[in-house]
Amino acid sequence: MRLSRESLRVAVIGLGKMGLLHASILNTLPNVELNALCDKGALIRKFCKRVFDRVRVVDDLEKLSDLDLDVVYVTTPIPSHFIVTETIYSSGIARNVFIEKTLASSHDEAKKLCELAQSFGDINMVGYMKRFAVTFRKAKDLLDQDTLGEVVSFDAYAYSSDFLGSEKSSKTSASRGGVLRDLGAHVIDLALWFFGGLEVNSAKLEQPVDECSEDSAQFRVNRSDGLEGWFSISWCRENYRLPEFGLVIRGSEGIMRVNDDRVELKLNDGISSSWYRHDLNDNVGFLLGAPEYFREDEYFIKSVLENRNVDPSFYTASKVDYIIDQVKSRAGNNG
Amino acid sequence: MGDGRKKILLVGDNPFHGISHLSQEQARIRGNAMTYPEYAANLVMTSLDNEANGFMFSVSETTLSILKILHETEGDKRPGLYALVPYAFEYVRLATQLGTSGLAKKFAKQIMVSGNVRAIAMGLKGVIRMDPVTLLKTYLIYEISRIKSSAGKQANLESLLLHEIITDMGLALNLDWLFKSYVDFMLKLGIKPGFDTRNFAYLVKKFNGWGINFRDVIIAAPFNKVGFQMDPSKRECETALATLDETNVIAISILAAGYLKPLEAIEYIGSLPNIKGVAVGVSKEQHARETFKLLKNRLE
Repeated sequence: MRLSRESLRVAVIGLGKMGLLHASILNTLPNVELNALCDKGALIRKFCKRVFDRVRVVDDLEKLSDLDLDVVYVTTPIPSHFIVTETIYSSGIARNVFIEKTLASSHDEAKKLCELAQSFGDINMVGYMKRFAVTFRKAKDLLDQDTLGEVVSFDAYAYSSDFLGSEKSSKTSASRGGVLRDLGAHVIDLALWFFGGLEVNSAKLEQPVDECSEDSAQFRVNRSDGLEGWFSISWCRENYRLPEFGLVIRGSEGIMRVNDDRVELKLNDGISSSWYRHDLNDNVGFLLGAPEYFREDEYFIKSVLENRNVDPSFYTASKVDYIIDQVKSRAGNNG
Repeated sequence: MGDGRKKILLVGDNPFHGISHLSQEQARIRGNAMTYPEYAANLVMTSLDNEANGFMFSVSETTLSILKILHETEGDKRPGLYALVPYAFEYVRLATQLGTSGLAKKFAKQIMVSGNVRAIAMGLKGVIRMDPVTLLKTYLIYEISRIKSSAGKQANLESLLLHEIITDMGLALNLDWLFKSYVDFMLKLGIKPGFDTRNFAYLVKKFNGWGINFRDVIIAAPFNKVGFQMDPSKRECETALATLDETNVIAISILAAGYLKPLEAIEYIGSLPNIKGVAVGVSKEQHARETFKLLKNRLE
């Protein structure tokens, strides 16, 4: 369905740090009218009513249904993504939906959301923002140009110290979906983006912080043509002041290391190159948090205005949920 | 190259928090030595002995410890203090662990425990009304009291700057009333209100529109030869800088997080109009001895 207006009426559901970040960036974009905010918390609603004088602040999704919205951002905790998004589609709240990663709490839920989007939606996207980081984009370009030749194997990691030394975090870490969904999802998405379909061979999960959600994960994957990969994910790792994501990729022609800050290429013929963010035109229209947040919001809004499909869509993102389910299943079988 | 005017030359605190915007991997390899307050305080003192005239820092347990050591060691020196609040990293980390409401509860508890009667009274009023301005004032009083209890009552707190996350979110959401309340409140306290931003050109445009006088405020923003964090572009930031009548801009990230060599970085800063000072982090004693002398020679 093509939109008839040039300015999009947008609502954000869930006013945690990601909700406020997206609401702020959206407010700087031309063609966006931040129209409504929704949150269950009474205090945060009261606060937002004082801050946003021209924006409707509501406690219930259904109250968004008569606002003639074009776009909804879902930034609630992961376990609620399915029910919130199902309501958005079934109540006709909006046809264009952005969900902060992960798409859902399981691959079954993710598949249902893909079906709902197919039936009742237009453009849909999931917030795998690492794809919009200049270093990972550079790595993707190099892979697409076959710079490494035939890719043979990769190691991927996602580490933070967020829950290091944390004694009581069950509720919060569970609401964040465990380390696989919170941190791991980003690097799983990057690997799927770089290498295509992967299957999990073996997996191990650990719960050093609490028993409700995993706190570290290691698993092995492969692709049908023999490419092998290894993932290591933890939010209890020492000295990771900020979350860090990276891959080491080995090919027949050389090796590439990429993380949030840098891409390093070493080819067998002796040529080596490296690029920092500084070398890769990292400027954006408005910098808040990290440049990739602006890029993904700008890309999604433009795509809605131009009625153009996006990637990562719900369908693309559902593959991450598939891998996570596989990891949990394989780890369960191992245990 | 210099314009003959005295410049504010500030020691930055990023290395003391284990930050490298060039590479987190590099920061990890560098190790934790710089995060020890004694080591960091020594670097600050060495810098102050070698032409630096102030310290720019995020208010955290580490920097408060550094201030305490500086106060105890060189009580009569009183460098200019430029404090950034809040220490966003710690609050984001707590929000991750505890959730937004858990963070709010923890923060409220900290204020209660601090025993700061004015902050407690104002905070209660703010919570009951959920009034952002009152809550902001409560928070500012609390942070100022933390700084003064570490740096001494006679500390030369030149400016309190809102961290980039708060400044830039406020800019994005057009919270002109919040900025104006902040400016008025700080001026009444006799402390220069400051704004740390990664969107300098956007801020200049908004402040001009809102009627905020650049004479009243300090702005800290990235300026470097390669345009690192100069959004939306190096050119637009330079153009915005040139339009200002007042020179209350402190250039940060002048080395583009270590990507540039000091001399080329300083040459670029020297070519800009309206720069009142710079903040640079140092990680070794030799850096502390050389960097600020070089800055003074080249910029003044």
